[in-house]
Amino acid sequence: MKNEKISSKSRLKLLKVILSKDLKSELRQINDLFAIFLFDIISIFIFSSVYNFGTQYQTMPLEIFVIENWLIIFFTTVYIMTKLFVKEKDSGTIGGLISSPVSANLILMSKIIFCFILLTFVEVILFLFSVFISAPSIANFSSSQLLIFICFGVLLPTLDLSICGSLVSAFSMYVKNKSFILPILLFPLILPIITPIISINIKILEGELISSLFYEIIFFSAHIILMSSIMTLTSEALLYD
Amino acid sequence: MSNKAIINCENVSKQFGYFFALKKISFQVREDTVFGIAGANGAGKTTLIKILSGLLKPTFGKIMFGDMNYDDNSNIIKQNIGITTDESFLFEELTIFENLKYYANLHLNFDKRNIETLIDHYCKKFNLTDWINEPVRILSHGMKQKVELIRGVIHEPSILFLDEPFSGLDYNATTMLINFFKDLKKNKNVSIILTTHKTEVFQQICDDLIILKKGKINKAITNEQFSEAEIKSFY
Repeated sequence: MKNEKISSKSRLKLLKVILSKDLKSELRQINDLFAIFLFDIISIFIFSSVYNFGTQYQTMPLEIFVIENWLIIFFTTVYIMTKLFVKEKDSGTIGGLISSPVSANLILMSKIIFCFILLTFVEVILFLFSVFISAPSIANFSSSQLLIFICFGVLLPTLDLSICGSLVSAFSMYVKNKSFILPILLFPLILPIITPIISINIKILEGELISSLFYEIIFFSAHIILMSSIMTLTSEALLYD
Repeated sequence: MSNKAIINCENVSKQFGYFFALKKISFQVREDTVFGIAGANGAGKTTLIKILSGLLKPTFGKIMFGDMNYDDNSNIIKQNIGITTDESFLFEELTIFENLKYYANLHLNFDKRNIETLIDHYCKKFNLTDWINEPVRILSHGMKQKVELIRGVIHEPSILFLDEPFSGLDYNATTMLINFFKDLKKNKNVSIILTTHKTEVFQQICDDLIILKKGKINKAITNEQFSEAEIKSFY
């Protein structure tokens, strides 16, 4: 038998192969992406219209703006989760991955990155639209604050959501009532990070210094480490029936 | 053909809930041979193929590939095996070429410089050249079956697992496939483990055969002892 050890470079190459296949496959089903964007934009529009109509205010307070956006992102995460392992199981293609010489951890990592890319893409469009439609009361927002907002207010929570989403998607892939189980499993996992996500976003948008975000950043890091550890320890069991 | 065992299956059982799909199966597959698994529906053929190829884990028992245990060397073993099952592993939105390239790239142990030539070669052999850039979703069942087979051999495995490889194929395609398997065994030293309901195929290409009944080995025979009527009597 041919016996070649898999180096770190080879692992990266495999990761790239799986990821590019997932992205290519996703882009070919443009209707799915379009449905996500449509859901997001309609939701923002409904939120803003209801707020403006109910309060007669033209600008939306930061708290409402942040909650509005992240509520939509949580629901989008549930939809994107079905695109990870559940879809591969339903189409049978998960067998191709499992029978290939790719470790369970690498497969999980590729799905986390795929989920992260999709969610980030959705968030960019969502935030751009919501800034214009909801008109939040953000004043004196410098470029350095924007960078802090992107890194700690958007990307860090998105990474955490992607890990939780991939874990739940892998966990529920062999379950019969997947569509019912997915949100039920996801919400208890992301429940502890909902408050920190909202508070870190509000603090950054209000112009607070990075030092005041210390507790939220520590909390996210701990949650990411905890979820990643669970995933690594259970990866083999998660992927095999 | 050698007498060296490439796969050694020892007391393998598989339990689904309270049901035992396989009960203490033990056999050896010799190197560079075609090993047939026969049996009626529900006998445990697909479960056995899936366990041997690593798609399912056995509840009890041990599988050795040469001197390697599956659990400790799964990645090395997976580099060297190819599999086609009743389930399609193909991505419907991607083209035949993209699917084959993707699966070839997941295997690191063979020369990928000529991968495009290799895909062209196999597509030509299986009369798929005109469809190579078409998405898999528009292909017929038989064509998908051919792409599945190419996917299973594209990375030049030394062991090939085939679950019902002839289902949905016409007479010409079946004959071509039998010759293809004979060629793989003779010229590329590939050991093949296959299941099929076409009993005549066993006589044509198999060196050894086990007949399963209700998850147990009912009979193990070699090519010299083959009789189609006898095999049919177990269905």
